[in-house]
Amino acid sequence: MSIIFDEIKEAVIDGDEDLAVELAEKVIAEGLDLVEAIEKGYIKGIEEVGASWKTGEAFLPDVMMAADAMKTGMGILEAELAAQGGKEHEDKGKIVLGTVEGDIHDIGKNIVGALLTAAGFKVYDIGIDQKPEAFVAKADEVGATIIAASSLLTTTMRAQGELIEYLKEKGIRDKYKVIIGGGPTSQKWANEIKADGWVETADEAIVLCKELLA
Amino acid sequence: MLPKYDILTDEQIQTIHDNTMRILQEVGVEFSYEPAIEIFRKHGQKVDGHRVYFDREFVEEMVEGAPSEFTLHARNPEHNLICGGNNTIFMPGYGAPFIHDVDGNRRNATIQDYDNFVKLAGASKNLHMTGGNVVEPQDVPDETRHMSMMYSHITNSDKCFMGSASGYEKAKDSIEITALLHGGLDVIKENPALVCLVNSVTPLKFDDRMLGGLMAYAEAGQATIIASLVMSGSTGPATIAGALSVQNAEVLAGITLGQCINPGTPVIYGSTSAITDMASGALAIGNPECALFISASAQLARFYGVPSRGGGGLTDSKIVDAQSGYESMMTLFAASATGINFVLHSAGILQYYMAMSFEKFMQDDEIAGMVSRYIKGIDMTEDKLAFDVISKVGPGGHYLTQKHTRKNFKVEFYKPSLSDRQSYDGWANNKLTANQRGNQKWQDVVENYVSPVLDPDVKQKIDEYIAKRSKELL
Repeated sequence: MSIIFDEIKEAVIDGDEDLAVELAEKVIAEGLDLVEAIEKGYIKGIEEVGASWKTGEAFLPDVMMAADAMKTGMGILEAELAAQGGKEHEDKGKIVLGTVEGDIHDIGKNIVGALLTAAGFKVYDIGIDQKPEAFVAKADEVGATIIAASSLLTTTMRAQGELIEYLKEKGIRDKYKVIIGGGPTSQKWANEIKADGWVETADEAIVLCKELLA
Repeated sequence: MLPKYDILTDEQIQTIHDNTMRILQEVGVEFSYEPAIEIFRKHGQKVDGHRVYFDREFVEEMVEGAPSEFTLHARNPEHNLICGGNNTIFMPGYGAPFIHDVDGNRRNATIQDYDNFVKLAGASKNLHMTGGNVVEPQDVPDETRHMSMMYSHITNSDKCFMGSASGYEKAKDSIEITALLHGGLDVIKENPALVCLVNSVTPLKFDDRMLGGLMAYAEAGQATIIASLVMSGSTGPATIAGALSVQNAEVLAGITLGQCINPGTPVIYGSTSAITDMASGALAIGNPECALFISASAQLARFYGVPSRGGGGLTDSKIVDAQSGYESMMTLFAASATGINFVLHSAGILQYYMAMSFEKFMQDDEIAGMVSRYIKGIDMTEDKLAFDVISKVGPGGHYLTQKHTRKNFKVEFYKPSLSDRQSYDGWANNKLTANQRGNQKWQDVVENYVSPVLDPDVKQKIDEYIAKRSKELL
């Protein structure tokens, strides 16, 4: 039984999404313990990749592909778990991530998403060019406490401020921690729009999210 | 002038071309701007939603129609520039939102920084243009920022400059203001005076904002750089040959659009492709791979018969130090030796285009001077072969007091303005690094700079235009 969990772990480490899916289906077909498969397979795999990232052995393609394999494979087991009425797997915190309205850049955001996933957070990426409403709708749906908004252009940065204004108008500003990032942003900009946090790199985003959820 | 160095064989160039044509035909390019789609449809290209699939012959024919060189006109005709052929044009960095000061501290760029960079470029013997968008001045409103920037170029220097391409409206303002400076839209249509930068959204896309700019410039007969920045490994393949093909497909698609709008309109083949730092996902520009992209792009542009843009004093360093020096020298040297014509980002850039630095500007100005001297090559005329003076001095003498020496050393030797060639004791008096010397020097240059006089009538017309448009926009 533990052999398949090892296989799942290896599939995640190899960033093999197809295999991660195949193995998830096998776990269900054979009626194995879903939570055990998640924890000993998918989570264990991504933890190992996260550790190699920290020591500088793994690079972005390694981590991002591992995160994809893990999310897709684990997603199948989570859906099954929900269908069976089982208890949700416990994560380190839920984060809604997206690029603000008017901006179509997504690579930086995707990197942050992958590294946060590798660090044990549950990341919901809503994509590029997203209105404040979309961030909030997703955060409500999944019960996220952190909203992370990305922007690469000096001309779209202000949409990060508009997201915060929107939360204030709706009277739900205190419900979320809003963090921002992206090329032209800075701590000064974060202070100006009263964001809860700003960091320059994806690695620092992990530290920031841990602090905010502590 | 040295011959330009080719890094690819003719056969390899043809291979990249074939691969590019296959991408354009089978994968296609996405255009979000409806008028662009309409133009391609009219020219019989296969359109599916926003994606355009190009016919090979059509692209080849359109690119063929673009001029191989053109003259860019300055307010002072002495500063007119030929863009193309064997010419190299240097100018400041473009688009950085931040300034790094001499101690490496970061702050937002302001319009005063903008003016200072324009003055430094105006004063420089090594930079031919004052550039465009030399920093992103964040203390002036976004809506009218494009005009504030133009105004700085026009009032602080009489060299050529660049205009905004950020959407059709801002591009139109840039063109109108330049027309006022040169005596009318007809005048600049005949004699292009403005160049703008249009970037693709890699991989294989063009957005509304940039295409609007391209339309406005092409209609008015002003020059456009169609540039692609493939981040090899993230926005493009991790192989240089693959990333180069993606870049080539984007640039050729953009050039084709420009030629459809206005046949014969001046365009420049632009590349800023480089690699992705796989530990952070950031762009990395101060490296040998970037130098290879620059070199191959110069050659591809020659193959297509259009002027090229690429390179610069490129670095990932955050301050003027050894890294900023060796990286910038590599990329500026590669651009110059392989025949890039239009070298945006020649001076001032730090941290992969994120920041400008005045000290770095002085470092790069020096590099630009050194590189220009190098590509000028060795003068082989009879007087320079110096037989007469060699015979006069004979064995064992010296040349320091010869007329030939006095006449020639200033022409033959590049005179450094930042490098330290003093004795140890001379240097040890202050022990200044290049960073510290650059800091003193740029302030001296700005302080002593006198802006060339602008005809008061012309200035008034431009002032009025900007005032009127600002009222509408703010």
